[in-house]
Amino acid sequence: MTRHIPWIALLVCGWSAAAAQGAAQAITSPFAQGIRAYQNLDFDQAAALLRRDLARASSSTATLGERAQGLLYLGAADLFRGRRDSAVAVFRRLVQLDPRYRPDRLVFPPEVTSVFDNVRVETRAVVLVAPADTEISTGTGAFTFWVVASAFQTVEVTLRYQDGAPFRALYAGPMGDSLRVQWDGLDAAGQMTPVSRVLLRVASRAPTGELAGIVQLPLDLRIVHIDTLPWPKPPADSQFLPERAGSRPALRALLGGVLLAGTVTVLPSVVGSDHPNGSRLVVAGAVGFAGALGYVLHRPGRPLTANIAANQAVRARWQQSAAAVKAENVQRRDDVHLAVHAGEPTAIKPSAR
Amino acid sequence: MKLASLGFVCAALAAGATRSGAQGLVPAGGLSIVSTRVRGTDQLTGTVLGGQGTVALGRLELAIGYVQGKIGPEGASGAGQDLVEGVALLGVRPASWLRLAVGPHARSYTLTGGTPLRWVFWELRARASSAFVGSAGRGYVELWRALSASVNAPEPFDHAQGGEAGMVVHLARAPLELRLGYRIDHAVLGGGSRLETVDAVVIGVGLSGR
Repeated sequence: MTRHIPWIALLVCGWSAAAAQGAAQAITSPFAQGIRAYQNLDFDQAAALLRRDLARASSSTATLGERAQGLLYLGAADLFRGRRDSAVAVFRRLVQLDPRYRPDRLVFPPEVTSVFDNVRVETRAVVLVAPADTEISTGTGAFTFWVVASAFQTVEVTLRYQDGAPFRALYAGPMGDSLRVQWDGLDAAGQMTPVSRVLLRVASRAPTGELAGIVQLPLDLRIVHIDTLPWPKPPADSQFLPERAGSRPALRALLGGVLLAGTVTVLPSVVGSDHPNGSRLVVAGAVGFAGALGYVLHRPGRPLTANIAANQAVRARWQQSAAAVKAENVQRRDDVHLAVHAGEPTAIKPSAR
Repeated sequence: MKLASLGFVCAALAAGATRSGAQGLVPAGGLSIVSTRVRGTDQLTGTVLGGQGTVALGRLELAIGYVQGKIGPEGASGAGQDLVEGVALLGVRPASWLRLAVGPHARSYTLTGGTPLRWVFWELRARASSAFVGSAGRGYVELWRALSASVNAPEPFDHAQGGEAGMVVHLARAPLELRLGYRIDHAVLGGGSRLETVDAVVIGVGLSGR
C-alpha cells in the first residue's frame, strides 16, 4: 500500500490540474459518472460505471473520442484496482478502436501511460482515413487515403472485388505511424474495369508474419463521363456584309445626276427669268457627268473588297472557335472521371488458434 | 404681313435651336470664283471673287457670304464697275437634308450710266441636299423668295426670287471640298415694267468639318 502513496499523490495533483477543463467535459460526456468516480479515487465504482456505460455505448450515442476516453479511464481504474490484465485488455480495445489515440500525460500518471504505450506497441492495429467522396481523373488523378498504425508493422494494402478476389495491389511493406497511399482508378492491368464496388483492405502482420488484423473499407465506384461542348453556331447571314455592290448606289448616282442636271437647266424658268444663261448648261453637264461617273464607280455586281475582308474575318473567327471546341471535346472524351464514395470501415479479427 | 412672316420664321428658328444637342461648334468656309451676269436695264458681266463661311451648332446654323469684283458691259474691255454683294442667314435644320434660313441679302452695282443700284432683300430660303455619288458627292438645290426688299430704283419693288443648284465633292481623307453650282436671282419692279436678273456660275473650294 505504501508504494502506492506517491502515485496516488501524483494522481491527485494531476487531477486537480485538469479539474478545470475536465469538469466541463465530464458533464457532457456519456461516461461522466464513471470519470467523476475515478477523479474521486473511487476506482471500483469508476470501473463498474464505465464498464456499464461502455457496454451501452454505440457509435450513435458516443463519439469515437468519447468511447476512447471512456476506455482509457476504465483501463486506468482497473490498473489502480490492481487488475493489470484487465487494464491491458481494455487498453488493447482502445488501440484497436483508434490507433492514433494517446493519453494526456498531464492527466494520467506515468504508470498508466507506460502500460498503455506497451500495449500500443504490442498491438498491431490500423485505421483507414479516406475522404467520403472523391472524383478523380482516371490514370492521371489519384484517390488518396492514409493508413494510420498504432505501431511499426508490416501491412498489405490491396483492392479486392466484392468476392475477395484481388483487384489491385497498392502497397506491401513496413510502415511506421502513418502511410499515404494513392490509387489511380485502374486495375492491375492498367485498365478501367466496370465494377461498381471494390474493397480497400489493409492486412496487418506481426514481425513473425502472423496476420494481426484486417481493416476493410468498401469503395463505391461510378464512372463519370464529362459532357462535350456543343459546336459553336455558324455565323448568321445577318453578320455578313454584301460582297457585291447592289444596284441602288449606282441608280442613285445616275438618277441623282440626271435630276440635278435637269434642275440646273430649268432653274431660270423656275424663278421666272426669261433670259437664261448658257453657262448653266456647263454646270448641268458637269453634274450629269458626275452622276454617270458615280454609276460606273458603283456599278452593280462590283466586288466590295472591304466587305469581303470583313466576312473572311467573321468566318475565320468561327473556324477558330470550332477548332478549339473540337480539341477540347477530344480531350474530354479521353478524360474519364471516377467518382469514389467511401463506406463504413470494418475490422476483421484473425481467428484464434 | 411680311414682318409677321419674318417673326414666325425667327420663332421657328429659335424653337429649333432649343432642340439642338450639346454639340460643339462646327465651322466651315471657302473661297469661290463667281462668273456673274446681270440682265436688266444694262447687260453686265464679269468674274468676281467671293468667300463664304458657316458655323453650325447642333441644328442651328449661321451663314455669311461676300462677293466683290468688277463687272462691265458684255463684250467691252476695261476695268468695269464695282459689284459688291453680301448675305447673312440664320438657319435651322429640321432634317439632316433640309435647311430653312432667313436673313438679309444686299447687292450693289453701278449701271453703265454711272447710277449705283442698291438692293436689300430679306429672304426666306429652303435648301435641300443629299449624297448621290457614294458619300462623297452631294447635290444641293436652294430656292429663296424675298419677304421684303428696298431698292433705290424709281419703280416700286414687286417681288423677287431665286435659286441655286449644284454639287459639292468631298475629297477622301481630307476636310477639303470642291463646289460647282449655278445660281440666279430674278427681281420684278413696277408690276413687271422692270426686270433685273443676276445669275452666276460658282466654282469654289472649301474646308468643312462635317
